[in-house]
Amino acid sequence: METASDVRTDNASFSAAEKRDRVKPASIRIWNFLISVKLAIWILIVLAVTSILGTVIEQNQPPEKYHQVYEDWAYNLMDRINLFDMYHSWWFLLLLCLFTLNLTCCTIDRLPRVIRTVRKPKLVLDDAMGKSLSLTERWKSKGDVPHRAEEYKVALARVFAAPKVTEADGEVHLYAEKGVSSRFGAYATHAGIVIVFIGAILGNIFGFKSYVNIPDGKEASHLDARGGKQHIDLPFAVRNNRFWLETYPSGQPKKYASDLSVMENGREVLRKTITVNDPLVYKGVWFYQSGYGQEGGATAQVAVSRQDGTPVGNFSLAPNEPVRIDGYGVVRGVNYEQDFQGNGPALQVVIEKPGQPASALWILQGRPDLDRGRNDSLAFSFGGLTAKMYTGLQVAKDPGVNVVWLGCLLLTAGMMVSFFLSHRRIWIRLAEGPHGKVEVTAAGSTNRNRPAFEKTFASVLAEVRKDPSDTEKENPV
Amino acid sequence: MNTLNVQLFDLTTLLFGGASGTYIAAMYGKKETMARIGTWICIAAAVVSTAALGVRWVESYNMGIGRIPVTNLYESLVFFAWSVNLFYLFVEWKYKSRAFGPFVIPIAFLTMVFAFTNESGIQPLVPALQSYWLHAHVITCFVGYAAFAVSAGVAAMYLLKAGQEKTKARDGIVARFPSAKVLDDLVYRAIIWGFPFLTAGIITGAAWANYAWGTYWSWDPKETWSLIVWLVYAAFLHARVTRGWHGTRAAILSIAGFLATVMCYLGVNLVLSGLHSYGG
Repeated sequence: METASDVRTDNASFSAAEKRDRVKPASIRIWNFLISVKLAIWILIVLAVTSILGTVIEQNQPPEKYHQVYEDWAYNLMDRINLFDMYHSWWFLLLLCLFTLNLTCCTIDRLPRVIRTVRKPKLVLDDAMGKSLSLTERWKSKGDVPHRAEEYKVALARVFAAPKVTEADGEVHLYAEKGVSSRFGAYATHAGIVIVFIGAILGNIFGFKSYVNIPDGKEASHLDARGGKQHIDLPFAVRNNRFWLETYPSGQPKKYASDLSVMENGREVLRKTITVNDPLVYKGVWFYQSGYGQEGGATAQVAVSRQDGTPVGNFSLAPNEPVRIDGYGVVRGVNYEQDFQGNGPALQVVIEKPGQPASALWILQGRPDLDRGRNDSLAFSFGGLTAKMYTGLQVAKDPGVNVVWLGCLLLTAGMMVSFFLSHRRIWIRLAEGPHGKVEVTAAGSTNRNRPAFEKTFASVLAEVRKDPSDTEKENPV
Repeated sequence: MNTLNVQLFDLTTLLFGGASGTYIAAMYGKKETMARIGTWICIAAAVVSTAALGVRWVESYNMGIGRIPVTNLYESLVFFAWSVNLFYLFVEWKYKSRAFGPFVIPIAFLTMVFAFTNESGIQPLVPALQSYWLHAHVITCFVGYAAFAVSAGVAAMYLLKAGQEKTKARDGIVARFPSAKVLDDLVYRAIIWGFPFLTAGIITGAAWANYAWGTYWSWDPKETWSLIVWLVYAAFLHARVTRGWHGTRAAILSIAGFLATVMCYLGVNLVLSGLHSYGG
């Protein structure tokens, strides 16, 4: 929780800024506008509200699709203000620039002040400060100042933090603090956001995204850059040895995989099987399993045997492509059925022998011996279809991505520090009082979570004043 | 016949219904004993739903497709209700007040009722979800969502209470709420827990997307809505320390943030299309 005093400080700086506004020149007014928290709130809200538009209007679709949905005038208007690619539009980028400017200016305005407070803390509790801090306590103590001071110093170091000791005008001041880093949490978060933006810009300038289809057994080194005009030539090639997919018994997809080789100067330098969540990386270029498909038509596997069943050989039949068997004739595969009259997968072949009319027949995958009953010199059996596949690879190079992760780390860490730590400070002043007593004033302050600090303050003081002779208490003034 | 885990989740739904009714009755009847019963029902619901999640996890392994039970809409809904309930019990224990119950536990109950209308079978994981990032991503997001749900419930209480404190009226249920100052503080505290978790959820999602697709951010509707939620709560955090923005406006931002959260979580899948089409 931000303490009331923090809220007051912030408000005070606002009203001070507003007062200055009336007399100061435009440059100062612009600066005060750029460093204001109100601007930050409005930018955040405007970014949130405008971002909704791009989730309701589908982005980057072909114009025909928009024409189906919108009237011409509406289409023209929306196109004019880039609503069909709004996250890359000039006005959205301008908003992000303003956001970055606000973050940067806030840091320039406030961070030096914070560093000053931290590096040169107020070591001495003077009367003005004693009055301005709301958490104070006074008491009188027996004994002499140096003795008590030493005792309090040891106690503070034990239960809170080792204090700095300042002696001035016969008074001894103890100052102890904890959680200084919480002062910097917000700045780390803000810097983290800017670093993420820098990483994104680096990726856009020096990286690329592309997509390539590679048939089984083929390789590729030439890519079309997505969205851009130019091509990308990789200094190496990627060969797709094989793509395959696995399914669960229910038929749902279980695994898409490609066995890839990286080829450099004709040699294989790396081989890896990639799956959807397991890409291949070589020289900063990442290859992701992203799609697949069938390359050309499927081919039918056909086995040939003699009448007595002695195997003669195998061949593949591409659709309608004739295959010549010497001393026999020409065979073509003309038709395929997944389930031929309830008998499972079947292939229809046409046999043309010299001087004879062509004959067509079905051979069944499940009945390899069936064709032997045809009383021909050769019998055929169908071994099933094999499809030649290609794999679809997303290819990306993003030298900015580690900068993005660094920014993310910084912004998360900064957030944790600023939410869960607080800068707690305790001052104790010991002065020589009348009748050989020591007059003690203690004060405490925190930048957030005041209720918790009040408890800490009370328990620290209780510990400091453990000595039974140290009892006389005065109500806080 | 439903499997054991679904039966246990059905029982959890009944318990949340009972707890909601009890808390609301206790609020109207000003009966502390009733509210205490509500707490015990919530504890029972926490035990039963935790057991149900465990059983479901084990059942998925017995089916040969073992994976964490947070991968479809049904599972994410029950996980959300589970998180809200635990977060609520923590708040109740920490603040020693049962006044939040009627505003928070019905959120868990309605979520379970909605889950009840969804397909509850254990489905195998599609290739896109087979990643260790899944665990980190889903758990961080849902802890964040749960915290925001609690915050919005308390923000609603704050608006009622602040309204009453302004008119100096001192009667009815609202008078029994903790003071506006305490409520305001709790709205904030729930958000400072939720916000880092949401941030971590967005970052793990980006890291996962980068590992699976090669882009950490593609302005997909789900991503964009998570950013919208993040922006609204970022605005809340700054509003709280700014004159003219703390108090009522901050409470409204908390409620707006939760509505955006619901849109991000459910609306995007039900209304819009995108990469998260498998639900959750």
